[in-house]
Amino acid sequence: MTENKNFKRKATVKILEDRCKGCWYCVNYCPTKVLVVSEKLNAKGYHPPEFREDEEHVCIACHLCELYCPDFAIVVEELK
Amino acid sequence: MSLMEELRMNEENLLRTERLPHVWCPGCGIGIVLNAFLRAVMRRKIDPNKLVVVSGIGCTGRAAGYVNVDSFHTTHGRGIPFAVGIKFARPDLNVVVFSGDGDLFAIGGNHFVNAARRNHDLLIIAVNNFTYGMTGGQHGPTTPTGAYTTTTPYGNPDRPFNIPHLAISLGAPYVARWTTYHVNQLQNSIYKALGMKGFRVIEIISQCPTVYGRRNTMRTPLSMMEYFQKNSIIKNDASFEELEIKYKGRIVVGEFRNVQGIPTYEERYEDIIRRAQNES
Repeated sequence: MTENKNFKRKATVKILEDRCKGCWYCVNYCPTKVLVVSEKLNAKGYHPPEFREDEEHVCIACHLCELYCPDFAIVVEELK
Repeated sequence: MSLMEELRMNEENLLRTERLPHVWCPGCGIGIVLNAFLRAVMRRKIDPNKLVVVSGIGCTGRAAGYVNVDSFHTTHGRGIPFAVGIKFARPDLNVVVFSGDGDLFAIGGNHFVNAARRNHDLLIIAVNNFTYGMTGGQHGPTTPTGAYTTTTPYGNPDRPFNIPHLAISLGAPYVARWTTYHVNQLQNSIYKALGMKGFRVIEIISQCPTVYGRRNTMRTPLSMMEYFQKNSIIKNDASFEELEIKYKGRIVVGEFRNVQGIPTYEERYEDIIRRAQNES
């Protein structure tokens, strides 16, 4: 697990669940692992990812999930 | 608002969002390429009214249907001839051919060769997924030797096209190859190419887990991405042998040619018109 005590919470990740097709690139390539595969299903029957932060896993607003998402389903909203 | 947030917000305006989710399979790399392309267009501050996306037939050919700019879904393999016509009629437009490997190099192979030779002012985004995805995974001109597909169940005997080397030998001024794993480099490469003139070729190695990966021990989208991650090396001065794609071998990526100042066909043609008018 990465040590993230120095990182401050910088953004929230909004998932447009209806567009997700469950390839989980975002879950795999998130450097701080703030995205996890959720239990729920979307209209097409895929498990979209879920944004879940805790003390060890904090979003650093790198926007990599946005770039890797092939379905245009992720929006990273930076906190002011 | 940071630059990245702004790009993401404006990206929705460049997409026909009412058509999303798109037809591409879960984990298909074409969405990643389209995402990088749209971001590069926005970073270049190209007016959407001055941009035309032309595509042929196939999985990647569907890309023209999702961009909210003037787009053209042409007949099979004829993306480049249509784009040449658009460029001749309206030289002020930025014409981008966004198509797949089968469309550009098999059915439209001759058009590619001759358009590159004449140095038409086009940007070619060639998404190479090693196979004919939409028709069920037949072997194509870029399938590596030894790969298993529906039409080569004992391994492909053909040699694949070496696309960067082909483009360099024809004198294309900008030639690059990336995989969908290199999202930032790919975006910067398209950004750079959009600011240049001449026949610019960017080959993007993309994953097709549905029909190519499942027959070649890469069943999930992530396992294909992992293959790109572990096997690609950046080498800008790669030789012919290194540029060849071997089955489950190394993928050499990078910017292989970047020269400026070669006159395009449109420029030379205007020059001829001017000379002819002066003589008469």
